[in-house]
Amino acid sequence: MSLIQQVLPFFLIGARNTLIYCFASFPLALLFGLILALMRSSRIAWFSSPAKIFIEVIRGTPIIAQIFLIYYGLGAVLATYNLSTLINAWTGGIAILAINYAAFEAEVFRAGFLSVEHGQTEAALSLGMSSEQNFFRIVLPQAIPLMIPPFVNDFIYMLKDSAILTVISATELTSVLQFFVFRNSSQTIPLYALAIALYLLMALPISYVARWYERRLRAAL
Amino acid sequence: MQQTQTITGVEPRTRNWLPVINALYYVVLALLLFGFGYYLYLNIGLITLYLPFLLQAASVTVGISIVSMVLAVILGLIGALARLSRFATLRGIAIVYVEVIRGTPIFVQLLFWYYGVGQFLSNHGFDPFTIAFNIMTVFQNNSLVPLTFSAFFYGIIGLSFAYGAYLTEVFRTGIESVDKGQTEAALSVGMSSRQTMRHIVLPQALRITIPPFTNYFISLIQDSALLEVLGVAELEQMTGAFADPLIDPNQKLFVYILGALIYLAICYPLSLLARYLEGRFGKAYQTTGDKIDALKADMLDSDMLGKQVVSFAEDEGDSE
Repeated sequence: MSLIQQVLPFFLIGARNTLIYCFASFPLALLFGLILALMRSSRIAWFSSPAKIFIEVIRGTPIIAQIFLIYYGLGAVLATYNLSTLINAWTGGIAILAINYAAFEAEVFRAGFLSVEHGQTEAALSLGMSSEQNFFRIVLPQAIPLMIPPFVNDFIYMLKDSAILTVISATELTSVLQFFVFRNSSQTIPLYALAIALYLLMALPISYVARWYERRLRAAL
Repeated sequence: MQQTQTITGVEPRTRNWLPVINALYYVVLALLLFGFGYYLYLNIGLITLYLPFLLQAASVTVGISIVSMVLAVILGLIGALARLSRFATLRGIAIVYVEVIRGTPIFVQLLFWYYGVGQFLSNHGFDPFTIAFNIMTVFQNNSLVPLTFSAFFYGIIGLSFAYGAYLTEVFRTGIESVDKGQTEAALSVGMSSRQTMRHIVLPQALRITIPPFTNYFISLIQDSALLEVLGVAELEQMTGAFADPLIDPNQKLFVYILGALIYLAICYPLSLLARYLEGRFGKAYQTTGDKIDALKADMLDSDMLGKQVVSFAEDEGDSE
């Protein structure tokens, strides 16, 4: 018990950093994802094809491979141009999470836009709305409520995937956990239990709210 | 002469430049692909040196994934049956199992299994490596047991338990999606409840679970890369082991790219397969309205699809 009392403040700092990583990366991922989704549904191949390739490559490779590639591979190349200060555990971690999740959010955005019937767009255009007006006033407001559950789901996934940033010695919860595990290796299970409890404390409330919202929305549809 | 007259009578149409611009893009794309091929060719020395080992490590990755998936399917089926069971204790255990696994990172679970449980058990006299070593000694082949056997063992256990929980939800949704009338009909013709489950409900449920199942298999292959931190010699670990000692940063980057390309070569065909299965086994829709309703339902069912959500909107986007 005294062990847990001893390490709890550090674990809480780790949990806070995990949240900082996610709250910094997720808006970026949403922004990139929206841009990617719009590019992907463009008729001009200059936009649609790079977006498709990007999404397939990101979804087809493990996030840990991307972390190694960007942080160690690209970092080493950048260091030869004296840009090594550009990538540290914070910027690198946030950038990788944002890039990785942008590909997933792009698919969610696209599915959201597809879920608004084409008749709505036709009606808006025939009323004389421009295509921007149609997008921002007709399609987006109808698509957003449906996109919220997958977004929240992906946010929880990001909360969990941020643990992998341990391999670039980010200062989030799992790194703190590993630090203390290697310091007192005689009593590891209580430390793991504490970390797991903290992760559950972060993820489960969000997940319950999301499920409640899903149920309500399903009833409304 | 007459023809030219008729043509001059017609107002010249404005030319649609889109196909031209797109054709130009594909030329540029071909050049870029050629450039990438040339980049690979420039590093042919590294490829011939490392690719055989990386491919061998990739086979280890695939092997781990398949073994874990088989175990995860067993755990998932047990979990789904427990989740739908009449006994509250079984339901409770299944719910806690699913919630705890889904609320915590797989990365932490793997560390927990290997450094937490594994160390605890080996302090109390259970060491998978020693046991496997002794068994293989009986068969006079103990050199076949890798030194990291314990990491393999706990890594596979960790992945199986994690994906067992995800598949529990997939199977549960599948079983619940089978119409109640089917069960009632089966029971009324005199089948036992076990026969009903085995011959009526499960075959129909499995059909629906095939697409999300494939998606989870792709995620599993990608998550098996996390065994790297336990020291299992799979693809990501091998890539890192080759790239780390290289001094030339360009070569280092290239080895990482090579490793990622092999993952892509494994996962991309599978994701194409998943999309094909989605079209093959997914529901057939009469109208686009039905399809849109299904898409909406899908987006509201995060339990079912996980992170690889809604890939089935694929073919529709291209036609637009």
